[in-house]
Parts: sequence; structure tokens; C-alpha cells
Amino acid sequence: MISALVLPDRGVRRLYAVSAAASDLGLFPGQKAADAGALVPELTLADADPAGDAEALHALTLWCARFSPAVATDAPGGIFLDIEGLSHLWGGEAELMEDLADRLTAQGINSRAAIADTAGCAWAMAHFGEDRAIVSSGEQQEALAILPVRALRLVDEDAAQLTRLGITRIGHLAALPRGQVTRRFGAGILMRLDQAMGLAPEALAFRRPPTPWFERLALVEPVSTPEDMARITADLCALICARLAGSARAARRFEIAFHRVDGKIQSIDLGLSALGRDVKILTRLFAPKLEAIDPGFGIEAATITARDVEMRGASQVQLTGGETENARVAVACLIDSLANRLGQDRIWRPSPVQSHEPERAVVKSAPGAAPGSGWDSDLPRPLRLFPHPELIDVTAPLPDDPPVLFRWRGRVHRVRLAEGPERIGREWWRGPISEVSTDQVRDYYRVEDETGGRFWLFRGGLNGAGYFPKWWMHGMFG
Amino acid sequence: MPLNPNIAALRSQIAAAHGGGRARAPVLSLGDAGIDTAFQQGGLPLACWHEFGGEGMEVETCAAPAAFAARIAASLAAKGEVVWVLRRDDLYAPGLAHLGFPAERLIQVCAVSESQALAVLEEALATPGVAAAVGEVETVSLIAGRRLQLACEKSGAAGLILHRRPYGGQRKSERPGSAAASRWKITSAPSVPAAGSPGLGAARWDVELVRCRGGRQGAWTVEEAHHGPHPFRLVAPLGDRHLEAPLLKAG
Repeated sequence: MISALVLPDRGVRRLYAVSAAASDLGLFPGQKAADAGALVPELTLADADPAGDAEALHALTLWCARFSPAVATDAPGGIFLDIEGLSHLWGGEAELMEDLADRLTAQGINSRAAIADTAGCAWAMAHFGEDRAIVSSGEQQEALAILPVRALRLVDEDAAQLTRLGITRIGHLAALPRGQVTRRFGAGILMRLDQAMGLAPEALAFRRPPTPWFERLALVEPVSTPEDMARITADLCALICARLAGSARAARRFEIAFHRVDGKIQSIDLGLSALGRDVKILTRLFAPKLEAIDPGFGIEAATITARDVEMRGASQVQLTGGETENARVAVACLIDSLANRLGQDRIWRPSPVQSHEPERAVVKSAPGAAPGSGWDSDLPRPLRLFPHPELIDVTAPLPDDPPVLFRWRGRVHRVRLAEGPERIGREWWRGPISEVSTDQVRDYYRVEDETGGRFWLFRGGLNGAGYFPKWWMHGMFG
Repeated sequence: MPLNPNIAALRSQIAAAHGGGRARAPVLSLGDAGIDTAFQQGGLPLACWHEFGGEGMEVETCAAPAAFAARIAASLAAKGEVVWVLRRDDLYAPGLAHLGFPAERLIQVCAVSESQALAVLEEALATPGVAAAVGEVETVSLIAGRRLQLACEKSGAAGLILHRRPYGGQRKSERPGSAAASRWKITSAPSVPAAGSPGLGAARWDVELVRCRGGRQGAWTVEEAHHGPHPFRLVAPLGDRHLEAPLLKAG
């Protein structure tokens, strides 16, 4: 059927797209509709609908997500699929492309496809090369050499100028000295060439995965007072929490973004120690963070996003032991409130680590996590452990005995009672074997001075020929 | 000991005046009638806060008061979490475990400033599910103390304030007034190992009850008690005394 779509262009109706039959008769896009009608009287004309086309292409892009999670629309009529690492699911790249083309044909969509290392090369092959071509890795140069320069996605003027100069093939262009091409045409042509060859990066706007846990509040009038922002926060929390509760889910992280009139976005976020969807708690935790928001000339919209969403059913109301549950929730709220105000690293539960080194025996774990315990309460360990052992002067009658006298922080302590040694070696398997030596052995003594002060001292290293070990203060028992 | 009814009536009036007419708060027995009766309530009252301090070097390290407070907090930890608010991160959890404190009940918070530490303490004390909050702060002003007291009464948690200058320096002048229910001075005392056994004996502290709201002052020497319901054991004034060396020689 001889048909074409027309689109008004600066007051002139021009052909926008032509059917294959019309193309055979010499009609081409961009021709005046009146001329075309005169040449081919039986031409059927219809109005083009670019917006509708774009919408349909977008829908098709979403459908292509069945092949790859990373799909990008390439207006006006193309789609990029990143198939890195997933073609084996179809048995190979050729099979994947076969399946894609067959499914498109079944929907009545004519398509051309190509697979290549770079988006530019795949585009060129799909538009100007052999249909369903697969360019092997690193062979872009050979594959592209015979294609016309228009295959590089150049602007029309550049392509026309190159063709006028006799540079019709990409191979000719690639052979030219780069400096001259840049001087004559600017950097655009070479950038496209490099992108096709894989020498320059190219960012594609891949479809973003939909975030269903998102709510938006548009305001009729811009607001800027703290009270209004608090109310917006409460409303947003209520919106997202109602949706979370409706689908039996809860989230661990929330983010509110305030869109200002001048186009800037200010956001605050919140992390919870446990899954949460309580409006009151969220509002209260957000409240102190609102102070950091500068509303500028006003805020016209606000959005809330919930992340780390997981399933959580409604909580069981207990007949007995409700107090315990309330207390548990209250402690979780306290932890969240402190962690969000002071910082995540300023609140922790100490957890045991299987290590003999005193400094390594404790690790700071998240306060919301299940508490752990496992230290041997029979081992004498000080209440205060100094992060850096402090050097002390000692008087010891025998090299292997605990000291009878030591000076620490400018005061002399006479040792009345001593207990030990408890020998703790360094964990040699953590470092290079060449660094292991007896200098790193520590002999710990628990000593008590004449006033009752109880200290944890150690001697670093063993007595040897010409080596006099030093003594260190490492902690206090109190 | 049967009390004179007049005195009992007077005591209940005083208690009502102090407690604002509220029901009697639960108390913690410290293990000896001599210490417990120093308090008007017959034990360490729980829904209020107490301050502990040391002397000399202990103003900076605050080890003995911390050990004493940890033993008290250990008896309370069965009822809920214990929040320990620090300015200087040198509290060692295995050491708490050695003192008999259930470390799985501990939440540590490191505050950047004095005022932040007090705010965290207040928030922790007002939370149900927190049995006790230990705070290492330098001084507690009258207003801050009053706020802590209200937070304690809200949830029934006990506040244990350790007076500490975490990075040394000149000590601020002590203000005479305080909203605390009691003020203690804790110093380590020489231990006495069991006869014939080497090493150190059970930890001992000289504790002095400097101020006690509605109660009496007093000074005792206590020893940690690892077994039994109470955190401490009173050292008998005569029987448990350490014999001085000259006396031994003379004997």
C-alpha cells in the first residue's frame, strides 16, 4: 500500500515517514506532501503522531525488560539492551536476538537488530549493516569500515559535509589524521567514532527500576515555616506508612526530599534499627532533622521514599507480657533516636570476638541487633582498658617477677599484691611471618597497690641477651 | 525493731513531702542492714538518680566508682537494658563481665559533649525497658538534675551518675546543691586474699555516703559478692580487717 505520514514543518506539510511501496516509487521523508501527491496521485496520507510514537516506544522498552534489566530508549525508533552476562540464558547471543526478533515480528513490529561491544557499533550495524549481525568482541573497526558515515549518529550537517568531501565510509574517516578532522569539524565527529570503536565512554539513560515505595505531596502555595514543614513531614509519613501497612511491609530507611521553588532539592534521611512503619515514631525521628532544611523562597513539593522494604505482618497483640513488648519497642525507639541524632557509630552494643588479644576481644555491633555475650567472666579483665598502653617505670627484683614498685602518671605505686602472669601472645597468623618474634609476647599481671588501686600491667617481650623488656600500664580494675 | 508510732507517722509525712505524694518507689538492698537503713526508704531507692565520685587520680580515670556502679547496675539488669553514656570510650565490656555484669544488656553511647551526655541520659532514663542508665559526666547542674529526676520518676529507672573529668584538667568548683537522692564517694580499698591463696582477694571499696536525701550519712568498707542476691557484702569492722605488718611481727 502506498502511504505516508505527514507532519507540518514551519507551515509546510512534509512527509514524516513513508511505506516501503512509497519508498520504491521514489518518495522520501522530508519531501513536501503536495509534491509527493503530485508525483503519486494514489498516495494515502495520514497525520503523524510523534508523541504517540514516543509513548509506544517507551512501552516497548518496558516490555524489553523481559530480556535484560538494563534497557534504554533511543528516540525516535530504537532500543538499547545491555545483555552483558545474560545471553547464556537463551543459549547464546544469536539465540537471544532470534527470540527478541521473533517476538517483535509476532506483535507486528518490523525490527532490525545487532549485537556489538559498544552501543555506537550496535546502532550502526542495526541501522546500516546486515540484519541480526553480531560483531565479535574487538572487531568494531572491520565491521564499521564499510558503513556510511551517517552510521556514526552524526548531526545531519556534518554527515552531509563529509559526504560532499568524498568521505563516505567510516573507514575513510578513521584513516584521516585526527587533528585535521577536529580542526575542521570540531570534536563531535571523533567522539562518535571513538564511542563506536569503544575508545570513549558513552552513558546510556537506562530505564530506572520503578520504586513503588514513593509518595509525593504537591503544595498549592510554597511554604517555608517550620510548622508547615513539620506538618508536611507528618503527612508524608502517614501516606507511606499507610501503604506499607496495607501490603504488610515495613522499611528500614526513609528519605524525604523537599523541592524548593528555585529548583534545588534538600533531603533528609533516616535509618531504623528494626523494620518500622509507625507514623508517630517516624515523625518524631524526622523532627530534629528538619532544622537542617533551608526552605529558601519556599517549598512547593515534597517526596518520601522508603528503602530496604521487607515483609512484616501486623504485630500480635499479646494478652500477657504486653509490658515486655512495649519495653522492647521503646528501647528500639530510643536506639533509633540516638543513632539518628548522634550518628550511627556513637551508639553500640559490645559483642565478643574469639580473640585472646584484649584490644580485639570486643567489637562494636549495631545496637538493634540481637545482643551477644560470651566473655569468660572468670578471666581477670579490667573495667577500663586504655586504648594505648602507657609506658611505666618499674622496679622488679627478679627479671621474671612482677614489679614491687612502679611509677605511672607521675605517681609512685608500691605493689602490695600481684597475680600472674597471664601470657598473651600476638596472633601471629594475622601478619607476615617475618614480623613474628618473642618481643610481641605480653605477660600480664594484675597488681594491687598499697591504697587498694588495682591495675593491669604487662611486660612486653621476653628477657634475653641484652634485651630489657619494657613495662606497660594497660587498664584499671577499679 | 518496733518503731515508735509517732516517729513512724512523722517519717511517712516526710516521705510524702519528698516523694510528692507518690506511692513508695521500689528499692535495691545493698546487702547489709547497716547500709540499707541509712536510707529512709530502707534501701537504695530506684526511681531517682545517685551520684558517685572518686578522689585524686580517680577524678580522671573513675575506675572504682564505675566498678561500684556496675555492681549496682548488674543487680538491676535483670529488669531491662542498661545504657552507659561515656565521654571517653575506654569502658571494657569483658571487664564488666568479670564484675558479674550481663554484658548482653549493655548499650554504650559515646557523647561528644557534657550537655549531649546529659540529654542522652535523660532520654534513656525516660524510656520504659531501660532499667538503669550510667552516665560519666563532670557536673550536673540543679536544672539538669531536676530533669534527670523527672525522667527517672517517669519510668522508674535508676540513674547512676559518675563524676569524671575524662581528659583531666582543673576541676570545676563543686556546687553545694544537688537534686540527687544520694551522693557517694568511692575509693578502692586493699583486698585481703583468703588464707594461703596467692594473688589478690575479692575487690573491696571504701564507700562513703556523703549525702542522702531523708537519710543518714555513713562510711563502710564493702566487698564484691559474686554469689547471692546482693551486689555487696559488708566487711565486718573487726573480723575481716587486714592485720598490719608490725602487728604480725609482734605476734
